[in-house]
Amino acid sequence: MLIGIAVGRCAAVALVSALLVGCTSSSTTSQSSSTIVKIGVELPLSGGDAANGIPTDNGVKLAVEEANKNAPAGFSFAVDDLDDAVQGAHDPAQGAQNTKVFISDSAVLAMIGPFNSNVAKAEIPLTNDAELTQISPSNTNPGLTLGDDAKKLRTSHPDVNNYFRVCTTDDKQGAAGAQFARKLGLKKAFIVDDNETYGKGLADVFEAAFKKAGGTVLGHEHLTKNQQDFKALLTKAHSQNPDLIFYGGTTVTGGGLLRKQMADAGMASITYIGGDGISDDTFLKQAGSMANGSYYTVAAPETSKLASAKDFVTAYKAKFKGDVGPYSANAYTAAMIEIAAIEKAIQANGNKLPSRLDVLKNVAATKDFNSPIGKVGFDANGDTTAPILSIYKISGGKAQFVDQINLKS
Amino acid sequence: MDIFFQQLVNGLSLGGIYALIALGYTMVYGIIELINFAHGDVYTLGTFFSLAILLGLGVSGEVHGFALVWVVLLTMLGAMLLCGVTGVLIERLAYRRLRNAPRLAPLITAIGMSFILENAMQLWRGPTPIAFPAVIPNPSLHVGGVEIAAKQILVIVLAVVMMAGLQLFIYRTKMGKAMRATAQDREAAQLMGIDINTTIAMTFLIGSALAGAAGFVSGVYYQSTWFFNGFEAGLKAFTAAVLGGIGNVAGAMLGGFLIGLVEAFATQFIPQGAQWTNVVVFSVLVLVLVFRPSGLLGEALPEKV
Repeated sequence: MLIGIAVGRCAAVALVSALLVGCTSSSTTSQSSSTIVKIGVELPLSGGDAANGIPTDNGVKLAVEEANKNAPAGFSFAVDDLDDAVQGAHDPAQGAQNTKVFISDSAVLAMIGPFNSNVAKAEIPLTNDAELTQISPSNTNPGLTLGDDAKKLRTSHPDVNNYFRVCTTDDKQGAAGAQFARKLGLKKAFIVDDNETYGKGLADVFEAAFKKAGGTVLGHEHLTKNQQDFKALLTKAHSQNPDLIFYGGTTVTGGGLLRKQMADAGMASITYIGGDGISDDTFLKQAGSMANGSYYTVAAPETSKLASAKDFVTAYKAKFKGDVGPYSANAYTAAMIEIAAIEKAIQANGNKLPSRLDVLKNVAATKDFNSPIGKVGFDANGDTTAPILSIYKISGGKAQFVDQINLKS
Repeated sequence: MDIFFQQLVNGLSLGGIYALIALGYTMVYGIIELINFAHGDVYTLGTFFSLAILLGLGVSGEVHGFALVWVVLLTMLGAMLLCGVTGVLIERLAYRRLRNAPRLAPLITAIGMSFILENAMQLWRGPTPIAFPAVIPNPSLHVGGVEIAAKQILVIVLAVVMMAGLQLFIYRTKMGKAMRATAQDREAAQLMGIDINTTIAMTFLIGSALAGAAGFVSGVYYQSTWFFNGFEAGLKAFTAAVLGGIGNVAGAMLGGFLIGLVEAFATQFIPQGAQWTNVVVFSVLVLVLVFRPSGLLGEALPEKV
């Protein structure tokens, strides 16, 4: 009983002091033991997206583990990962909630995530207000960094950009998909998307790029959330004789079942191309034998083809006993950039905990950073300066690397 | 014209699954006036049970000939039995004590039950979609330009057979009579010597068994399932039950097929229609309820005098 009270009191004191630190955002650090600097990771770690979220989270964990071997004196790094999946799927409101947790924790100096673009839309206004660095390994929606859409997300500090990404954008991914489809000699496309920020953005860019490259778009349909039966939609598509179905969206929002039901609709021989949203094991399982012959683009270079990624792949496999996910190397790189920026800021601050703004400035200045995915840097909008995409084909139940497209121009 | 008939087939087979789930909704509502929100999840549980039975039998692909009949019967009846027992347990544990409580209490309990089932299934088979073996060979019938898959015929036939069987059970057996009596006036039925608890448990058993059958069929039909499927399917099936007249077995069936058809035709004939299917379905529901507040066939609940 006494112990209980004592613990309760300690917790209360700790809570109050944490609140005080949070409010004044001062950097009072005790030199007694090592100060923990947290990297906040915000990804879907359960539900249908976990197949992608967990290997991505692992990339950060690996980077932090390696950084701790050589951390600045008196400091150590830690991963604080929160899950944004609600009822089995990524959820913007939960993402925003998690972001608030990071913002109120003064030990969090930088953040990695989210995985999904619509979640990022909910988070950027918060991190912009708090001037908290945020690097996404996988958000590909162009509106997050470009144009009026991006401005609307940065109303608190319009002059400060705190959001970066190490992957390329859908305007590049959609364009690469369209380029590749034309290269395969496909002419008539029927486009389906899942009506989410990511899926619709990708499909819209594909549509424009495919038309520009001389193709015809027969129709562009949007799915309803939680839809499971696509026969009616496929019957409609089939009646117009397309030679390609392009899908903008993720496996869970319909990509897997849509491909599978193409067989029932008599469309088994029609080419199916998607974005990185279907680049997971769930797609292989859900579409079954119909997965074979599908193509997808990934807004990242293929790690097994990169000499620079060899060490990373070996270390990852040794630690997690599994294959590297499509965005693991990106997450690892994002974490490395943040850790380097934090270390630099610690040094500049006389070996004391730096402010979030110091870290942000260092991240923004990143140029030619050596990483598993090659030399990485950010432009003024926070986009990567190395837009490399890979194209995969599924055959024999496994994804095979087909081609790499570099859209640097 | 081919397209019209093709969409007719698509709509009927989608509607068949809604109808099978709606039967259970409508039965439970008919007898204790409870909207059993956990029913959609019992349906999903049906796919999970079917999958477990198939894996237990060592079936991972198409089965042919005589073995097919056995595998289908064993799996479907097994899933029906397990779901039926689950339904009875849910009623015993969660609803019976609240039978005389204010209406809102069992309703909230039903929502809670739905969450419990969803999370239990997530624990059991993980959060990602699961592949379901293609048990039934699926040759297509070509009628003119219309392609009808064997699976689609299975779904439609099963829904009609189940509905007819249920109708016979309710109007031709003693237990059915007891159900109707309980629905009409619970206390009077009890005074006449009807065991209310058994009768209501029986209703849950049959309703949940039908959900189990629907679960098996949808597993075979879509060859995929995941723990969250019951939410959307349950919502649509509930809508079907209301559309047809809740408490009315034939109405649930009609409502299910109608919603399937509306979805298919809305997708085909409205430009970019796939995204508007829910809007169209629920607009139809609102219109029907405005002009016929008790659904298309009316509440078949024996009127309370």
